[in-house]
Amino acid sequence: MGGWLLRRALQAVVTLAIATALLFVLMRAAPGDPLFRLSADRPISQKEIEVLRARYGLDQPVGRQLAAFLGGLVHGDLGVSIEYGRPVTALLAERLPATLLLGGSVLLLNFTVGLWLGVRQAVRRGAREDRWLTTLSLTGYAMPSFWLGLMLAWLVGVEWRLLPAAGMQDPLLSSDAGWLTRAGDVLRHLVLPVLTLSVVSIAATMRYQRAAMLEVLHLPYIVTARAKGLPERLVTWRHAWRNALFPVITLFGLWLPILVSGSVFVEAVFAWPGLGSLAAGAVGGRDYPLLMGASLLVAALVVAGGFLTDVAYALLDPRVRIG
Amino acid sequence: MSTVTGWRSRLAFVVMLTAWSIPGAQAQAAPATGIVIVTGQQATTPVPTLMEGAANGVGNQDVADQLFLRLAELGPKAQTAGDRDFVPALARSWTRRDSTTLVFDLDSRARWHDGTPVTARDVVFTFKRAKNPDLAPRVSDLLRQIVSVAAEGDSRVVFRFARPYAEQLYDATYHVAPIPFHLLDSIPPDSVSRSSFATSPIGSGPYRWVRSVPGQFVELAAVPDFFLGKPKIARVILRTAVEPSARLNLLLSGQADAMDIIPPPSVNQVAADTTLRLIAVPSSTMGFLLFNQRDPKNRARPHSILADNRVRRAITFGLDRRQLVQAVFGSHGMVPYGPVSQLLWIRHRSPRAEGPNVNEARRLLAATGWGDSDADGTLDRDGHPLRLVLSVPNTSGIRRQMALLIQEQLRRIGVQIEILQLEFPIYLERRAAGDFDVDFSSVNQDPSPSGLTQSWACTGGNNVAGYCDRGVDSVMEQAVRGRGDPGERWIEALRKIEEDAAATFLYAPAFMYAVNRRFRGVTITPQSAWLTLRKWSVSPVPVAGRSR
Amino acid sequence: MTSILEILRSAWRNPRGRTGALLLLIVAVAALVGPWLLPDPLAQPDILAGGLPPGVGHPFGTDQLSRDVLARVVNGARISLGVSVLAVALSVTLGAAVGIVAGYWGGAIDAALMRLVDGALAIPRLFILLLVLAVWERVPVLALILIIGVTGWFATSRLVRGEVLRIREEGYVQAAEALGARRRRIIFRHLLPNALGPLLVAATLGVGDVILLEAGLSFLGLGIQPPTPSWGGMILDSREVMVSAPWTGIFPGLAIVVTVLSANLFGDALRDAVDPRSA
Repeated sequence: MGGWLLRRALQAVVTLAIATALLFVLMRAAPGDPLFRLSADRPISQKEIEVLRARYGLDQPVGRQLAAFLGGLVHGDLGVSIEYGRPVTALLAERLPATLLLGGSVLLLNFTVGLWLGVRQAVRRGAREDRWLTTLSLTGYAMPSFWLGLMLAWLVGVEWRLLPAAGMQDPLLSSDAGWLTRAGDVLRHLVLPVLTLSVVSIAATMRYQRAAMLEVLHLPYIVTARAKGLPERLVTWRHAWRNALFPVITLFGLWLPILVSGSVFVEAVFAWPGLGSLAAGAVGGRDYPLLMGASLLVAALVVAGGFLTDVAYALLDPRVRIG
Repeated sequence: MSTVTGWRSRLAFVVMLTAWSIPGAQAQAAPATGIVIVTGQQATTPVPTLMEGAANGVGNQDVADQLFLRLAELGPKAQTAGDRDFVPALARSWTRRDSTTLVFDLDSRARWHDGTPVTARDVVFTFKRAKNPDLAPRVSDLLRQIVSVAAEGDSRVVFRFARPYAEQLYDATYHVAPIPFHLLDSIPPDSVSRSSFATSPIGSGPYRWVRSVPGQFVELAAVPDFFLGKPKIARVILRTAVEPSARLNLLLSGQADAMDIIPPPSVNQVAADTTLRLIAVPSSTMGFLLFNQRDPKNRARPHSILADNRVRRAITFGLDRRQLVQAVFGSHGMVPYGPVSQLLWIRHRSPRAEGPNVNEARRLLAATGWGDSDADGTLDRDGHPLRLVLSVPNTSGIRRQMALLIQEQLRRIGVQIEILQLEFPIYLERRAAGDFDVDFSSVNQDPSPSGLTQSWACTGGNNVAGYCDRGVDSVMEQAVRGRGDPGERWIEALRKIEEDAAATFLYAPAFMYAVNRRFRGVTITPQSAWLTLRKWSVSPVPVAGRSR
Repeated sequence: MTSILEILRSAWRNPRGRTGALLLLIVAVAALVGPWLLPDPLAQPDILAGGLPPGVGHPFGTDQLSRDVLARVVNGARISLGVSVLAVALSVTLGAAVGIVAGYWGGAIDAALMRLVDGALAIPRLFILLLVLAVWERVPVLALILIIGVTGWFATSRLVRGEVLRIREEGYVQAAEALGARRRRIIFRHLLPNALGPLLVAATLGVGDVILLEAGLSFLGLGIQPPTPSWGGMILDSREVMVSAPWTGIFPGLAIVVTVLSANLFGDALRDAVDPRSA
């Protein structure tokens, strides 16, 4: 097991390295220049541009910039954001929790509602309920997250005023409010963004889980169990489910990149202060260090997710460790 | 089948959701002790002398205006020439010793937020930092006419200028507010932006810094013993949302009380909300079509079509600018005469912009040899069609909208416009390199007309179109120096620029700001939206309901 | 090994698949013919009357520039479908090629290719596209198709490689090789036909994904540049008037949903036909 683990970890590092190189090449092949954004509508003097250029090391050749970046990376320094003037790592650290909260809540919903619906569909395969749920899930999967977000924010937030239309917390909450009130406040703000992301992801989870369950339900030992007279409920939740867990773990590994991507739109529409909105803002402003840092962080999360998935697999199924 | 995650957990979820909603609904009728203002940009370093480069934005400036008091504030008329339109702030009075010396007497009651009195030493220190071109390239350039700033005692500051000119008081007070010597002197200048001062600044203004929640909002609190009167609004929250729809939603859902610059298409909707008051504020924005006088491929040669001012004037006559402004800005837009936004004081004395004259446009084009030889609707000359590329940044909804209308209007006089929408950084790059035919420009002007020299003087740093007229240069120079009546000189410059059709000046809007009606005594100064916040009051009863 | 025709027929028999196929057909026809019947209304007679709600003469209403929303949606269909179909065709071709090479040749080539695929798959496709598009200039439609296509072949290559490996184990390939068949013949006679089923599924589902992707990019201002109508771009423009003129945003969004849904319905039915166990 130890040897396998080491090899797998090494694989993950190599993958991340390739991703890093890819990102850097893509970004620095740019014809654009982040500093020109600043001469937006106020005339900017040449002197000012030169000072800022030197400050951000943009006057160095690309090779030197790459070396500087990698050197910094080893020390955990991702450079300074051009737009915010602060270290990229600090910015990412500030904004990551919000995205994790959003993503985590969506995953939670996926693993409860999505899983349950998928299993239900598989068990009731072919029934009317199954067909309706399939259509429903396909519709949900077809919705652009930003559009759904805009609709929900408008309807629920502005027209009906049931829930906050944007933001993560109420800034006017007095400082002596208890943690319960605060948590409740954040939860209220969380509902719409989570709903938006969940519609799409649960739809996919349902489909996936249904397919996985169906595969398992045909396995010989399940058929045997049924033939032996075991009640259907036990067959489903005692035996079949655990086997269907494998694809679910895969799903977890797959969902990370999708959730992060979806969060770019959803966080923007709901002004949710996470990584997604940070990245969306950095794109327009050509904030190279910030863009690089955010993409790298996302890639790292994805690779880590994949690694953990494999480890989970290995723990559950010894055969995997040998292969 | 009864399942583990069955109806019970679903019910629990719904109950939880409802339970959380109820206290939330009550909290939405917010206590009337604060104001929530929506912004598009969060303040990162709202400290004078640090607002350079990317930090020079409205997000930082708005907060800095509350934290740091200037020596004197520019009045609502934004009259930057002369000494009359300024209101005492940190300085209680000023006098002239001669045509190049200005003396300020500081108000002895002024204090920094930590209680230390504001003294002349702070002012001297501030200008030493501000005039350092390596630290503050933008501000030091603005202060280049100030030769020396010296203290005479604790409360008197003497400014010496390089030469006599009309805007000495403006330069001495507007560009940078004093920063505290006793807190910053020990920090080396290039480490200030990373210091704790930058993350929780201490100033002399009516509001002090409380906290900043990253990506969400900045909170300020009223200074109770502020020497010019305690602000009646106890808390000020500047809430950030980068997406325009999120900003509007915050305002319309009641989560925010005030917003600057309502996008013109949404004005009607905001107007329908009776809890909000709409205020028209002259804007510093001015949009225009800049004609490149030089060939974009070879800057040494004149532009094959636009170097001839008859063609440029024809385009101006061919456009119904009033209709364009009406379509996009409704009744709050003006067609400017010359490059003048509603903010500049010189607009009050300038003539009205000319209306369209399609016949004259056609005549001018014919006179320059453009005819429609192949009857395809587009004029041509020597086999070349009268085709121009209009560069528009894709970030400006206003300009994108107007570009389509312009394209249509010019099609009618036989000018073919191709709209090139560019991503903002690319747009800027091309503009700076002079790589365009017609650039759809938009500027945010400073209150001082002297900013015009940047774009319209022969050697102006921002003169990317290659426009050069010595006559205009000399008139503008006279206006800046204060020789003769500055107002008249500026108008003369405008007239020349208009006659030469250096550009077609399209719109000078007034933007609508929205403030919740429970705030009284609301005034908005054009150059800084929330500057007079400390004078507003709030009625204790939240205004009920909203209708749409 | 079922033939393509059988797969299609089976998908057609499936009621959901049939619905999906029909809807797709309607959208395709609208995209091809619609712009002739309802030209993109850049010229408007009355500049000042904008933002009309759906009603007589304007079934989907008008936007703030008095442009008929229905006409713009129909014109946008051509762009969105065109970009998606072409990009997916590119992705599928690239993915199949790489998958076959990796699966058939094996060894170091396989390992290297799959390492590259792993690395590329680590970065969410959206982020790659954000970076590439933020970095290059206003991208002409052809370049956009290329970029989207080139970033979408990774998963398909894995799929095809899996198929190739599976087929190799079944002995056809070894038999053919033993009989002295040339490589090209093996690829085109044995490997490719077997992979066609899953490829078709991947392609159909891929079209839906790319439509969503392109819409998202246009929403961020990075994809199709205005004034060329695109569904994502229309939703982008509708942000500021969502409260006063919501129809400018609702209809383009619905168009996306309907199109992607029909692609997914059909693709799902195809998948059921290829692999009946998952039906």
